[in-house]
Amino acid sequence: MNLIIISALSGVVMMFSGLFVKNNRTISYIATALIIFLSLATMCELGAKSWFNIPQAEAMLRTSVYGKLIGVILTIATTFYFVLSGKDIERVGKHVADYYALMFFVLAGAGILLSFQNLLMLFLGVEILTIPLFILTGAQKQNLKSNEASLKYFLMGAFSTGIMLMGIVLIYGAMGSFDLSVIGKKAQFATPIHGANLMGLLLLLASMAFKVSAAPFHFWTPDVYDGAPTVFTSFMATIVKVAAVVAFIRLFEGSMEPFHTSKWQILVSILIACTLLVGNITAVFQQSVKRMLAYSSISQAGYMLFAVFAFNAFGKEGITIYGLSYSLATIGIFSVLSKMQDITFDGFNGLARQYPGIAFALTVFVLSLAGIPLTGGFLGKFYMISAGAASNSSYTWLFILAILCAAVSVYYYFRIIQAMYFKERVSDTPVFEVPVSKAFPILLIVVAALIILIGINPQILLQYLYF
Amino acid sequence: MSNLSQLAWLVPIFPLIGFLINGLGRNYLSKTLVGIIGSGALLLSFITSVLIFNKVSAGELLIGEAGVYFDFIKFGSFNIPFAFQIDQLTSIFLLVITGVGFLIHVYSTSYMHEETKAHFARYFAYLNLFVFSMLLLVMGANYVIMFIGWEGVGLCSYLLIGYWFKNNDYTNAAKKAFVMNRIGDLGFLIAIFYLIQHFGTTTYIDIFSQAKTEGSSSLITIITLCLFVGAMGKSAQLPLYTWLPDAMAGPTPVSALIHAATMVTAGIYMIARSNVLYALAPSTMSLVAIVGLLTAVFAASIALKQNDIKKVLAYSTVSQLGYMFLGLGVGAFTGAVFHVMTHAFFKALLFLGAGSVIHAMHHQQDMRHYGGLKKYMPVTNITMLIGCLAIAGIPPFSGFFSKDEILIAAYAANPIYYVIGLFGALMTAFYMFRMYTMTFLGGFRGDHHHLPHESPKPMTFALVVLAILAAVAGFIGLPELFTHNPEGHKLANYLAPVFKDGEALLAKHAHPDHTTEWILLAVSVGLIVAVILWAVKTYKVYKLENDAEPQGFSKILANKWYVDEIYDAVIIKPILAIGDFFGKVIETKGIDKAVNGVGKAINFGSRKFRYLQSGNVGNYILIMIVAIIILVRILFYLPMS
Repeated sequence: MNLIIISALSGVVMMFSGLFVKNNRTISYIATALIIFLSLATMCELGAKSWFNIPQAEAMLRTSVYGKLIGVILTIATTFYFVLSGKDIERVGKHVADYYALMFFVLAGAGILLSFQNLLMLFLGVEILTIPLFILTGAQKQNLKSNEASLKYFLMGAFSTGIMLMGIVLIYGAMGSFDLSVIGKKAQFATPIHGANLMGLLLLLASMAFKVSAAPFHFWTPDVYDGAPTVFTSFMATIVKVAAVVAFIRLFEGSMEPFHTSKWQILVSILIACTLLVGNITAVFQQSVKRMLAYSSISQAGYMLFAVFAFNAFGKEGITIYGLSYSLATIGIFSVLSKMQDITFDGFNGLARQYPGIAFALTVFVLSLAGIPLTGGFLGKFYMISAGAASNSSYTWLFILAILCAAVSVYYYFRIIQAMYFKERVSDTPVFEVPVSKAFPILLIVVAALIILIGINPQILLQYLYF
Repeated sequence: MSNLSQLAWLVPIFPLIGFLINGLGRNYLSKTLVGIIGSGALLLSFITSVLIFNKVSAGELLIGEAGVYFDFIKFGSFNIPFAFQIDQLTSIFLLVITGVGFLIHVYSTSYMHEETKAHFARYFAYLNLFVFSMLLLVMGANYVIMFIGWEGVGLCSYLLIGYWFKNNDYTNAAKKAFVMNRIGDLGFLIAIFYLIQHFGTTTYIDIFSQAKTEGSSSLITIITLCLFVGAMGKSAQLPLYTWLPDAMAGPTPVSALIHAATMVTAGIYMIARSNVLYALAPSTMSLVAIVGLLTAVFAASIALKQNDIKKVLAYSTVSQLGYMFLGLGVGAFTGAVFHVMTHAFFKALLFLGAGSVIHAMHHQQDMRHYGGLKKYMPVTNITMLIGCLAIAGIPPFSGFFSKDEILIAAYAANPIYYVIGLFGALMTAFYMFRMYTMTFLGGFRGDHHHLPHESPKPMTFALVVLAILAAVAGFIGLPELFTHNPEGHKLANYLAPVFKDGEALLAKHAHPDHTTEWILLAVSVGLIVAVILWAVKTYKVYKLENDAEPQGFSKILANKWYVDEIYDAVIIKPILAIGDFFGKVIETKGIDKAVNGVGKAINFGSRKFRYLQSGNVGNYILIMIVAIIILVRILFYLPMS
């Protein structure tokens, strides 16, 4: 509950601070202070009880250790995001405080998605999560691409919301309740499962697949990620995506388990296979790093979906590791990207010579995304695939596909390393639009060290799962 | 977490921090600061190791669960923890690594002083990283941690051999070392996989207790053989030894630390650690003994005719390592570890002494241009003499006791081992004193305009300390013969808990009675003294002008039995030919086409998939609808599987 309430309040505080504070830097400092407070609050909740005790909400929101841990991960990732990219947020437009406020509202939506107990809350959470994103995507009002992306996102988002509502209605029609535990109990005795129920489940699956941008429901992703201001792409591709995946898991695990027939895994395996193939293969040909990352974020979602495929402890552990290491690495790369003049691969040429610290950290991020051992990304992928293998070993083809796709991803990720270390800078234009501060490379290296730490000792994270 | 486990992790952490500071700050730190950080890290490690040694002597051990720091690799019921095991064997190695390492760091501060700032720091960073890896290797509580350290020391060895990377020969030597070690590492890795498959764990104590109850089996023989292949690579045994002489391309202190005192003894450590497994595989034990013995004699024979001072020492190291393997193979685990220790002292001393000479002679390594250095370098002269006496096996210097222990054990196992081993020992005495005489005695044959001078203080400091150790270290392992007390061998008592399981499993060889032992000792010492006198007499009058091209057998020796050439003709050339065939025919016609085909297909798909991304929202929604319809079709109308 801490996450939901404090982030909503922080959002309000940010909106007011926009009225009274004129200096953008100060606004960033306020936002950073709030997010640090929020992270501490979520951490406190992980250890002890929530600060807010609302028994009436039990039927609507029910927190679990897992949800709380993911909440901590999201807020920590957001903290790094604010610290690394604060200056870039300020450069997007005039209403800096509003951007921060919107992002806090997104976190509030994520908080609901981590703890919903009722399909209505799921719907509310998804809407609170996405509506601010429509605005953030269109934050550059003068930029046509940004406007187009915002409109497209809104249209397709509305469409997927429609599908989700339809699914919820069908389930309600069959079961007579929105409450997940009631639905689950009733479903145990209802054999064979009601057709409307199954259909509702399928529509929910499709709409959640849309939210996590799983193929073939991913089409909004490249256009929106490419059109949105780069800093906000970073936010959407990481924190929002992890929250959506966890909501996906929460929706279909536990109470919905009776619905899982052997066909469930067929459906999910098709989604995973499509997502991995589309994400990886399309990423290969991109010239713009931003667009490449958009596609790669699709393929990363494919790996995270293994948790939805498996529904076992492995999958949960895997999402924890995957979520944090993927978010940190992507936030790190985007924080560099959003400062750069040229966001194609050529823009990275010769970076290592001028900024060895930044180049080193980027290398770690890229290695983690590609899943090279000693990074968190490797363990994440390892856990995800072994979760799948542990739950149903007859899907060997899927696991092999996942590994081959990881190999393909090395190709496009390593082009960044290649450009940084092995290519000479031809033009005289500076790498960055604005001069980077001295602290920036150090912060990046801290993030990189964190990724390596997770890769060596995942238990520092996982131990919290089993208090 | 026991007291010891809180202490143990400090040992490797100091060099790691030193590595990070020196490596990252190499452009900013002054040389003095780099030297202080590099050596200071080792000094702290050494102090911690002494504390650990005290605790271990008092009976406190770190074994099993207590040593687990965190779960390193964990899936299902299989778990490889990141754990340390501190017992008597480890504590001895810790002292040797950090102690000798510290002296060599101090020595390096002055030996490497001509390097530029950044390269000087790079050197110390590598050296610290090496010590860190080596400590991991000996401290790990399971084979995986050992393997991490094993690879780490291999990497550092590669980096330091190729330290002067602008010289092509040196980088080639580094590559050779790396590739040769890779062959051995593959054996080690296969052994680990076998262990995991069979025992379901890699932790030493679990494996050993399981193996003991199961008894010997062909699987254990395979595992021990694979481990031994790893040891052959790392510890430069026949047939994988050729990288070590080439490794002399690195700076001399590196040769002393890595290629004499520590890394090359990793193989001995591994086998000593796995003594239970080896005791269950007698045929592997015999192989270890025979390989060790052959290497000892073979390498010693090559050393007889080398003119490069570092090459002499390199072959001597290979030969001494052979003795250690001989010791392991005949079940004298303590003797082997004892020899590791004394060898670390006297060989590090000899290398550092050689470094001192090379430093004074302006990087001239050819002994034919030395001579008479006794006058110019008194400290180096005395310390080197002590080193030579120690390695030759003259009582009461340390080498005498450790080598003798191995040879007596070899005699007990099989007198032929003893005879061949003694022959090798005689050659050792000969080539060492050939080296000593050509360097320090006779007249100066170098350039008279640049007379050599004694090395600076940090270098002589290291030499003196090592010389003292080389002289007296033998007394911790006095044979029963001298003390008439089965408890007299302090080292054996100390290490007994580690080796008791392995030794209990071994068929006990009857220890030769005291009379025989006295005779053997007297014979060996007498012969060695005679050989030394002969060598000194022959080479004291050495003149550069009289030096003829070696003929006949000595030509074979001077050319190192043509092993490099044989490898070149028998292995490398055919492999290159096969590689050529694969490269030209199979690769281009088959694999390339397939791989490029896949690549092209992906590229093609990538371009085509892009068109799906038309930017038209209507199209997107249409595709989504179609997808939902397909999913519905699968969910409702596909037969249940």
